[in-house]
Amino acid sequence: MNSHAEHATDAHGHAHPELGFIRKYVFSEDHKIIGVQFLFTSIIFLGLGGILALLVRIQLAWPHAEIPFIHNYFPDNGGRMPESFYNMCFTMHASVMIFFVIIPFLTGAFGNFTIPLMIGAGDMAFPKLNMMSYWILWPAFVLISFSFFVDGGAAASGWTAYPTISSVAMPAGQGLASPAAPGSGPGQVLWLLSLLCVGVSSMMGSVNYITTIINMRAPGMTLYRMPMTIWAMFITAILQAFALPVLTVALILQTLDKTIGTTFFLPDGLSFGNWSPEVGGGQPLLWQHLFWFYSHPAVYIMILPSMGMVSDILATFARRPLFGYRAMIYSIAGIAGLGFIVWGHHMFQSGMDPRLGTGFMVATIMIALPSAIKVFNWLGTIYRGNLQFTTPMLFALGFVSLFIIGGLSGIFMAATPVDIYIHDTYFIVAHIHYVLFASSLLGIFGGIYYWFPKMFGKMMNDNVGKAHFFLTFVLCNCTFFPMHMVGLAGLRRRIPDITAGALEAKLLPLNEFMSISALLLGLAQLIFVANFLWSIFFGAKASQNPWKSNTLEWTTGDPVPGHGNFDTVPIVHCGPYEYGEHGDKDNCPQTEKSTTPVAAH
Amino acid sequence: MGNKGWSVLFGVTMLACAIGFAVSPLMGWWMPEGVSAHAGAVDGLFYLIYAVTAVAFIITEVILVIFMWRYAKTPDGKPPIAPNAGFPTFLKPFESFLNDHHKIELAWTIVPSIVLLVIVFAQVNAWAEIKYATRNRNDGTKVDSARAQIAVSARQFEWRMRYPSAARFKGWMAEPAATRKDFESFGKIPHFDDVHVVNELHIWKDHPVVVHLTTRDVIHSFNLPNFRVKQDALPGKMIPVWFTPTKVNCKWDESRQRYIDGYDPAGKKEKDKEYTWDIACAELCGWGHYRMIGRVFVHKDQAEFLDWLQKAEAEGTRRN
Repeated sequence: MNSHAEHATDAHGHAHPELGFIRKYVFSEDHKIIGVQFLFTSIIFLGLGGILALLVRIQLAWPHAEIPFIHNYFPDNGGRMPESFYNMCFTMHASVMIFFVIIPFLTGAFGNFTIPLMIGAGDMAFPKLNMMSYWILWPAFVLISFSFFVDGGAAASGWTAYPTISSVAMPAGQGLASPAAPGSGPGQVLWLLSLLCVGVSSMMGSVNYITTIINMRAPGMTLYRMPMTIWAMFITAILQAFALPVLTVALILQTLDKTIGTTFFLPDGLSFGNWSPEVGGGQPLLWQHLFWFYSHPAVYIMILPSMGMVSDILATFARRPLFGYRAMIYSIAGIAGLGFIVWGHHMFQSGMDPRLGTGFMVATIMIALPSAIKVFNWLGTIYRGNLQFTTPMLFALGFVSLFIIGGLSGIFMAATPVDIYIHDTYFIVAHIHYVLFASSLLGIFGGIYYWFPKMFGKMMNDNVGKAHFFLTFVLCNCTFFPMHMVGLAGLRRRIPDITAGALEAKLLPLNEFMSISALLLGLAQLIFVANFLWSIFFGAKASQNPWKSNTLEWTTGDPVPGHGNFDTVPIVHCGPYEYGEHGDKDNCPQTEKSTTPVAAH
Repeated sequence: MGNKGWSVLFGVTMLACAIGFAVSPLMGWWMPEGVSAHAGAVDGLFYLIYAVTAVAFIITEVILVIFMWRYAKTPDGKPPIAPNAGFPTFLKPFESFLNDHHKIELAWTIVPSIVLLVIVFAQVNAWAEIKYATRNRNDGTKVDSARAQIAVSARQFEWRMRYPSAARFKGWMAEPAATRKDFESFGKIPHFDDVHVVNELHIWKDHPVVVHLTTRDVIHSFNLPNFRVKQDALPGKMIPVWFTPTKVNCKWDESRQRYIDGYDPAGKKEKDKEYTWDIACAELCGWGHYRMIGRVFVHKDQAEFLDWLQKAEAEGTRRN
């Protein structure tokens, strides 16, 4: 610990000359600045992903109408969105939201910002690697943005990019255009390369997080005194470190298939119109196994950090110890462990041996157990509390309420026979949006409102924040809940015109309702953006510990500490959740000796 | 909004979701009637999970809302409940249990795991019956196991069906043992006299059918929602799909000189949406994915199916 202690005092002791603007705010090695950089880019891509989502919703609700503004762009198609363009919209919506919004928000922004502060470290273990993990994202940003303008448009074979539609290519020398779909040409290649960069970034981040959490905890910060946010980040980083190499391999193989004509995923005997690839011998299911071996754990990568942050927020504003602290840790670990053996539940109808499906079903249904335990523990935490309904608390409670729906609907599709019917319907779309929007994103909003004072030294406006919560909570249910019903009625995902099928046409009114709700939901997010930007410049000045929280980030000298975080190395004396009666105050920061020990769980 | 108001917001929103889901069968936003032999099993398992999740949903959301109401911060700043307050009277008998966190945690770990295990083991057999080759393979030795076979080849953006000729089909039905090899070769080896039809799947009521599913370009999904059938067609592989239709939806139309579907035999209604059964591609396959839709025609018996097959064969020959 000695070298670490020196680093902390040294860095804050103004012994070094002040860094210039570029080194301080652009190519910064300070984990807090890097976290905020991730935060800003994620918010910008949230806007892009949101616009793509609204284009999808507009097409779904009014498939034959000429939409004002949009129709100017499609004079060749009678002013209506072409089918390929629609396919591109939902493909890029999902890709952007998953790889450029949720993951960078959670592991990039919050992982970076919270880990050293909450464990009492001066910075990450590898500050330069940390800087690199952000800047390697920029090639990804450029490639993915540029892909919208190439011949055939951006990728359009779904965010899952299943071969053969995504990967079939013309023979060498005939360009990158695909015989299967216009968006599977150069757009798909850029998509693959861009995701490779994102993967490398996450990999660098996860190595750094694991090392930092293991090696750089302040004296007294035992593993079982770490806040849930840190536990969640730790386990998420392990998930990333083990699962990402598999995705990286898959992306490289598909890139080779597309560019130099290998056939890892292309079997014999294909034909497209009058043209047949001359060689084959590959296996399209291989991609699905590799892809989901990463992408199912990725679903947990996209929810566990939110769960950790929500646990901290709930305990802080319920003024109660977190119920079942160890059970919470074990259930996160359980979700992560089981998360590696459930990928096949995406493939029940894929042509994989159905006997494998049975095994994957057992693991998948059992993963509901740790999720259920977490919900019970959150309810136990607010029991007998003194609930302070601040904006972060509302988002945390909203998370609990809607995660229940997203968790329970997962059981339907985990059951193989039931999945036969609901697979590839809107029921699945409802489920994923309850988990990723109504849970992950609500958790992210909670985290932003909660740590904003630490990030910028200002408070976000609480009343405006509450209005944002009110609208988001109501409208996201209006947007996503009816998807369960239309899915059960047989509405398939990924179709631009729902009037084509016998079962689907009658669902148009419900689709209009969802789309109008979605448009309003999109508008409601402008309230957040306005509040965020306004508060950075004009928000009320934050005190050192505005939420009377216990964790170490609120014990730094200045509200926004400099590079190095702590004036002196904090010594940790107690766990993070000693809220409730402590003499004349109702919290006990981790740096103080606990006066009234709260019953340990 | 006052502190207690938030619990009202949560309560009202969740109640609206619950009511919306509960009434959606009445609105027609629900699974269509199942028309295959295994549809009942699938739907039954769906309702089992529905019942369990509905109970879990109601319990957890009600507790959340009650806690949000009861423990909301009071305007005068006093804690909403004294730290040493006892339990309400109706919970008194469980006081020792509720005070022992360890016991509570054990209870809410063990009870859900038992419920989940029950759900798991309820599913296994139905899945095996529907999808396992071992439960569905037709060895061609018994008369009643002789089945209708159809080879379905998917492509952007249509379903191409291949049937045996009427003569060959009659041979299979009459002498299953003697024609066993020929019967089993049908899926893999096309014959010169096969009958080719686009986007129409013809079968007859109460008779099992096996579909040999292939695709020649990208992944498609052979999705028959009314029959609770879904199977991806995978490039490079032939995948068998089994099911048994249990309802009739077509009849001979004298004026159009062809069989029409969407016919309700009980009500004698034509163009009935509930009797129009799509083969709606369920795996993204390109720009025309949404309109890659075929139709299932379920004839009332084998004789009517044979009649259709002979007519289709004659039409094909004429065209050639």
